[in-house]
Amino acid sequence: MTTESADVVIIGGGIIGMATAYYLAKLGSDVVVVEKGEIAGGTSSKCDGNILAIDKEPGFDSQMSLESQKLVSQLVMELDEEFEYRAPGSILVCESDEEMEAAEMWVNRQKEVGLPFRMLDRGEIRSEWKYMADDIHGGLECATDSTVNPVLLTYSMAVTAERLGARLKTHTWVTGIRLDPSGAVEGVETSSGLIRTKHVVNAAGVWSKPIAQMVGIEIPVEPRKGHILVSSRTESIGTRKVMEFSYLMSKFGKERKVDQLTEQYGVALVFEPTASQNFLIGSSREFVGFDMKINVDVIRCIARRAIRFFPVMKDIPVLRSYCGLRPWTPDHLPIVSRVEEVPGFYIAAGHEGDGISLAAITGKVMSECITGQETTISIEPLHYNRFKKEAGKR
Amino acid sequence: MRHVNEGYIVCRCEEVTGKQLEDAYLLGAITSRQLKMKTRATMGACQGRVCRQLVNLWLSKKDQCADKGVEPLSYRTPIRLVTFGELAGEE
Ligand SMILES: Cc1cc2nc3c(=O)[nH]c(=O)nc-3n(C[C@H](O)[C@H](O)[C@H](O)COP(=O)(O)OP(=O)(O)OC[C@H]3O[C@@H](n4cnc5c(N)ncnc54)[C@H](O)[C@@H]3O)c2cc1C
Ligand code: FES
Repeated sequence: MTTESADVVIIGGGIIGMATAYYLAKLGSDVVVVEKGEIAGGTSSKCDGNILAIDKEPGFDSQMSLESQKLVSQLVMELDEEFEYRAPGSILVCESDEEMEAAEMWVNRQKEVGLPFRMLDRGEIRSEWKYMADDIHGGLECATDSTVNPVLLTYSMAVTAERLGARLKTHTWVTGIRLDPSGAVEGVETSSGLIRTKHVVNAAGVWSKPIAQMVGIEIPVEPRKGHILVSSRTESIGTRKVMEFSYLMSKFGKERKVDQLTEQYGVALVFEPTASQNFLIGSSREFVGFDMKINVDVIRCIARRAIRFFPVMKDIPVLRSYCGLRPWTPDHLPIVSRVEEVPGFYIAAGHEGDGISLAAITGKVMSECITGQETTISIEPLHYNRFKKEAGKR
Repeated sequence: MRHVNEGYIVCRCEEVTGKQLEDAYLLGAITSRQLKMKTRATMGACQGRVCRQLVNLWLSKKDQCADKGVEPLSYRTPIRLVTFGELAGEE
C-alpha cells in the first residue's frame, strides 16, 4: 500500500472520465484516473458511436450536443490517435402520414433556431436508400450529425491525457472517499492505497450511485439496458445513420404504433454502418437492473424491427450481439455538477444514451468548473440539486 | 517471436498480421481487449475461434503477465451464424 497525491482524482475510465482527464491535463492539472477494470471496459464499449443533434429538443439539449460536436471535430486534430470520425449527417424515417406531420413540426422548430434540418420526401429516401422498405413515407435529415468509434475515442483521450501527465490506474477499485473534519474531500481510498486529493470526480456511469453514497449523497442514476446486433460484412446498405422517427412521437404526446413486445422492450431501429464494412443494428431500452445477459427474445424483436425497415437484412448473417447499461436519469439530462455539501466532490454521470455525444462538452466544462473558470456552456440545468428539489416536493 | 515473418497472418477472417499486432502493441494496446479493438483480430466471421489462442499466445510471449482480460475474448451469442431472418423467426 502506498500513498500518493494528485490535484484531481477521477473515478471511472469510461468515455466521460477520460474526456475529463484529457481536458484537465490540457489545463495543466495533475490528474489520476482510477478504473476498476480496463479503460473503456464499461458502457463506453457496449454502445454505438452516434453524436446526434437530430433527436434533441431545440434549446439547451441541442446546444449541448452541438457544442460537443464542435469539440469532437477539434479533437480529430488535438488527440494523438484517430478514432474513425465522420460527419455524414443522420436521418429519421417515418412510417405514416401522422409521423410525417410531427416530423415537419420538429424540422420547423429546429430550423427556427438555425439548425441544418430538412424534410426528405419518399423519392429522396428511395434514391439514397435502395434497400429501404417501399412503404416508408419519407423522413428528415440533420446534416451535421457525426459518428466515432467510441472505444478508439476513449483510448485516444487516454493516451493523450497520459502524454500530458495524467496517471491511469486500471484494475484499481475505489473503496471509499475520505473527508476532513469540515466535510471537504481529502482523499480517495483505493484497492492499492490512499490517494490524497482535494478534488474527486464521480464519472462511474451506471455505478455512480454507490460512489455518491460514499459521501452521503443520493443520485437517481439507474441502469437502462440496451442490446445491439452486429452484422457480418456485406454489400453497403447505406453510408450513414438511420433511425425511426416513431420513438420521438412521445415528444408530441402521441403513442407509438407498434406491437406489444416492441413496446415492452423499447425496441426502435438504429442502423449504423461501421468503418469495417459491417453495420450495427439497435436497439432496446429496458429497466432490468444490472443483468448483462443477452436476452434472445429482445434480439429477436430487434431483428424483426430491422427487417421491417430493410427487408434485405433477412438474408444477412448476424455476427454477434452485445448489450450495455445506459446510465439513466429521470429527466434524461446528465448530472454535471459540483456538490456544495461536500466541497471538492463533483459528479459527471448519468448520460443515458448520449454519453458518447456529450463526453467532450462534459469533460471540457468539468475541467473549467474544477479549475475555477467560466464554463463554455451554463451547467446550471445539469446541477444535481434538481433531483433534491424534486424529492422535497413529493 | 523475432524469427517469425512479420507478415504472417494471425487472424484470417480479418486479415490481421503479426506486424499489425506489433504496431498496435507499440502504440499502447497492451491487453488482449485493446489489441482486439485496435486491430479487429478475433472479431471476424469465426468470432475468434481460429485465432483467439494465437492472439493470446502472441501477447503472452510479449508479456507474461499481460492482461488477457477479466472479460476475455469470449464468445457472445449467437455462436452459430444465423441471419437476421432466422433470428426474427421468418424463413
Ligand atoms: C446499446 C447502447 C447504445 C448506445 N449508443 C449511444 C450512441 O450512439 N451515442 C451516444 O452518445 N451514447 C450512446 N450510448 C450511451 C453511452 O454508451 C453512455 O452514455 C456512455 O458510455 C457512459 O459513459 P461513462 O463514462 O459515464 O460510463 P462507463 O463507460 O460505464 O464508465 C464508468 C467506469 O467507471 C468504472 N467504475 C465503476 N465503479 C468503480 C469503482 N468503484 N472504482 C473504480 N472504477 C469504477 C467502471 O468500471 C467503468 O469503466 C449507448 C448505450 C448503450 C447501452
Ligand atoms: S480468424 Fe480471427 S476472427 Fe476468424
